[in-house]
Amino acid sequence: MNESATQERPAAEPPPDSVPASANTPDGVFLIHGLGGTQYDLGSMHKRLKNAGLVTHSLTLPGHGTKPEDLAGVTAEDWIDAVVAKYREVRDQHPRLHLMGMCMGSLLAAVVAEREKHTKGNLVVLAPPVFIDGWATPWYRGLRPLLYAVPGIGRTMKIEEEDPFGIKNEQLRAIVKAKFERGENFHYRWVPLECIRQVDRLRGILMKGAKEIRCPTLVVHAREDELTSLRSANFLVEQIGGGRARMVVLEDSYHMICVDNDREIVAKNVLEFFGAALPGATSALANEPKMTGEALSAAVAATTAKLAAGDLSGLRELAIPDLAWVQPGVNKMSGAHAGKTFTAFASRFTQGNAPRFSAFGTPVFNRGVALVPATLVAQRDDATLESQGALLLAFHGGKLLEARWFADDVAREDAYFGQPEPEAPGTVSLESMFEAATATSKMLKKAPDNDTLLALYSLYKQASVGDVSGERPGALDMINRAKFDAWTSRKGLGREEAMKAYVELVTKLKEGE
Amino acid sequence: MQHIIVIVVVAVAYAVLAGVSELVASSPSDSWTVWLASGVVLGLLLALRRSRWAAVLAGGFIGAAGFALHLGSGILEAIGYGAIEVIAAGGAALIVSRLTELPMRLDSARELATLIVAGALPVALLGALLATAWHIAAAGGNSVATFRVWAIANFIGTLLVAPVLITWTQFRPRRSGGMPMPAFAGGAVACALFLGSMWLLFDARVEERFGGSVGESLTYVPIVFMALLALLWGTRGATLAAFVGALIAIVNTAQGEGPFAGVEGFLGEAELEVEGYALAIALTGLLIATLEASQRVAMRAARDWQTRFEATIGAHRLLAYEWDPVSGALAVTGDSLQLVGVPPARLRTLADWLAVVAPDERERVSNGFDGRVAGSGNADTLTYLLRGPGGSLLTATDEARAIRDHDGELHRVVGIVRISATTNPEASA
Repeated sequence: MNESATQERPAAEPPPDSVPASANTPDGVFLIHGLGGTQYDLGSMHKRLKNAGLVTHSLTLPGHGTKPEDLAGVTAEDWIDAVVAKYREVRDQHPRLHLMGMCMGSLLAAVVAEREKHTKGNLVVLAPPVFIDGWATPWYRGLRPLLYAVPGIGRTMKIEEEDPFGIKNEQLRAIVKAKFERGENFHYRWVPLECIRQVDRLRGILMKGAKEIRCPTLVVHAREDELTSLRSANFLVEQIGGGRARMVVLEDSYHMICVDNDREIVAKNVLEFFGAALPGATSALANEPKMTGEALSAAVAATTAKLAAGDLSGLRELAIPDLAWVQPGVNKMSGAHAGKTFTAFASRFTQGNAPRFSAFGTPVFNRGVALVPATLVAQRDDATLESQGALLLAFHGGKLLEARWFADDVAREDAYFGQPEPEAPGTVSLESMFEAATATSKMLKKAPDNDTLLALYSLYKQASVGDVSGERPGALDMINRAKFDAWTSRKGLGREEAMKAYVELVTKLKEGE
Repeated sequence: MQHIIVIVVVAVAYAVLAGVSELVASSPSDSWTVWLASGVVLGLLLALRRSRWAAVLAGGFIGAAGFALHLGSGILEAIGYGAIEVIAAGGAALIVSRLTELPMRLDSARELATLIVAGALPVALLGALLATAWHIAAAGGNSVATFRVWAIANFIGTLLVAPVLITWTQFRPRRSGGMPMPAFAGGAVACALFLGSMWLLFDARVEERFGGSVGESLTYVPIVFMALLALLWGTRGATLAAFVGALIAIVNTAQGEGPFAGVEGFLGEAELEVEGYALAIALTGLLIATLEASQRVAMRAARDWQTRFEATIGAHRLLAYEWDPVSGALAVTGDSLQLVGVPPARLRTLADWLAVVAPDERERVSNGFDGRVAGSGNADTLTYLLRGPGGSLLTATDEARAIRDHDGELHRVVGIVRISATTNPEASA
């Protein structure tokens, strides 16, 4: 039997010795790929689940991962046995273990859920082919039982993958097509007819046993699935029962729902169904934090240590990738900063005279949320800010999901940081003007002289990076030395002043043409 | 081992189709109406890789010589007959290979024409010439009749059988894709109507079944169903149905039934009539199916081109547009929904585009477009700000080109708009 298993863990797990293993261990998800496929079938689900604090397990089904000929002779029982063995191996490693499969993998996941009387977690079946009756299935599909009876043909007849490859998105389809043409080993180009027979047997096994599935089940199916119609999803929901099973119908995908247009919808529904960590404090309050009190305290301590050091960027090491920071008021720091915008926001805390958090009080907890008294301190030549308030930190599975600063006196912060650039229609912010000016500077018909170029460079760097740092280039590196000196000459110039000067200089150059 | 299998399969197929041809041979004129076996060798030569040619020719030779022995020929005569079949089919395949890429796919009218003119015709003429020469050398007799019977029977037989083999050897079972069930069901109805009407027309004497000359007029009816069948089932279905339909017509005519049975202006006229009819049926189906296939190929090529173009401009954050200054119609290509938050379908006029432009820039941009109409230049670049998704501001670098007619009159303005959020002027320093 050709089986290989992989296990992927979150980057940072709670310390194993702090709490009993059963309470400290994150939930697991066992993912099963489809016929002739690999984990590629499941798109970015591994990564999504891992980011949400879940441990993923997978296996390569017998006959897969090598060459299509190896599928000949593999039976439905071989696949079931392999999945059952893996299931039993990982079942006790987690407080909850969810089952999830794609295409034929979803049939296997459902069969295992039924046979193992799985109630330790949920079941997700993605595009289950209970009936092979999709709109693009060929006319001769009904003849296959006749061919099964012909000796030898099951092993020799090749059933090929063909356009549209289960993908509605033309760009993605072109990528998959190119992968096939390059012979990449992400999916078999064909499978033997015998293999289809085994899938038919597997379908029969599931049809008989679907009523016995006892765990909460999510069926995700595309209305335009070219391989199997919605009848399959309806069948499963009816058999398992509306009380336990629910269905999500996708409107903009074909069969490969984890990689097609609706992949985000699939990921969101699966994560929600598993009760996994989603960005946002609301999620942390609504769901079990999957952390002990000690682990939560340790996470808060690590977070406040980063904040005290002014290392907001360092929070990424402790957080989910979509970490959000919410700053109150109506000032230049205000707003919800998540994902890429968080990076820009965090960089403001690393510049000279940047604000810092200090004087942290004793945190209080509610599920995965900690409320930490703190003071936001900032200083510049003409003013000082000491703003007291509280930080709300939301955690799940050992990861920081969101941080919100609640200032006691928001007006003080507004006064210190200043009003934000107006966003009303008809107005253009300084940042937008700066961006437009950078574009214009590259399209000047007449190249500026060297001094002007250096002025442009130094103002741009001062506006976008801040004060110069690092060693002055050597005398032989004349160009970079001149740039460094020009940038040094702007030291201390504020970001806004630098942007304004840059915009004025570009405007002047443009007008002079 | 595979070569041996090919030799055996070809020899058996040749013998079977030769046997069928023998069964449908016209007894009144003592001649062969259609020689289906010749199509086996040529069809497989055109459908398979060159590495299989030797096996196909060997199988054809064995099948032809064996069938000649079965008809009572001597060994030398059988060898000679086998050699004629191989030389005719091999020569025709060589000619075809010079004109089109092999294996043949029959998905264009050009390929169909090549098959007829450079494939079936040389097989018929070359075989007829060699057979006539052999006939004259061996026994003498009516060489003109020999040439005519051989040429016509081989030409029609080749056109009935070779397309079936060419299209069906490329058949690959698929998990999904190909002909969906609705098209198959529609084609099945058309096929039933075609074969049913052929059977009704040819399975009885027409004057007994329809009375008067009505039966002859009804010979056009199956052609309509064949056209429908070819559209729905494509080349594979059309070639197979044409083959079966032709057999119905030829067998029944040979038995003295059908609309052509009573036509005997000269000896063998009925055979000639039904041969022509079978040919018309086969070519109608083939022509329609290949035209439909060539349209599908062109559509696929256009879709691939579109996918590549959209991927390229999407990756560079570009939008392409074409503006008709007379009607004001604007056509935008590219993922404008992602780039500026508005789908291309809602950017139908210049006013739609200006609505996306930052409010304080609209007048300048509008003037820029007016300038493109009023001016005599061919190219210009505008840089302005756009309102992006979520109210963000984006920089648009709009490079336009004027397309003018022979008098210099502006016909269209086409342009590429580069959408950027940030730019880095470091390189310019």
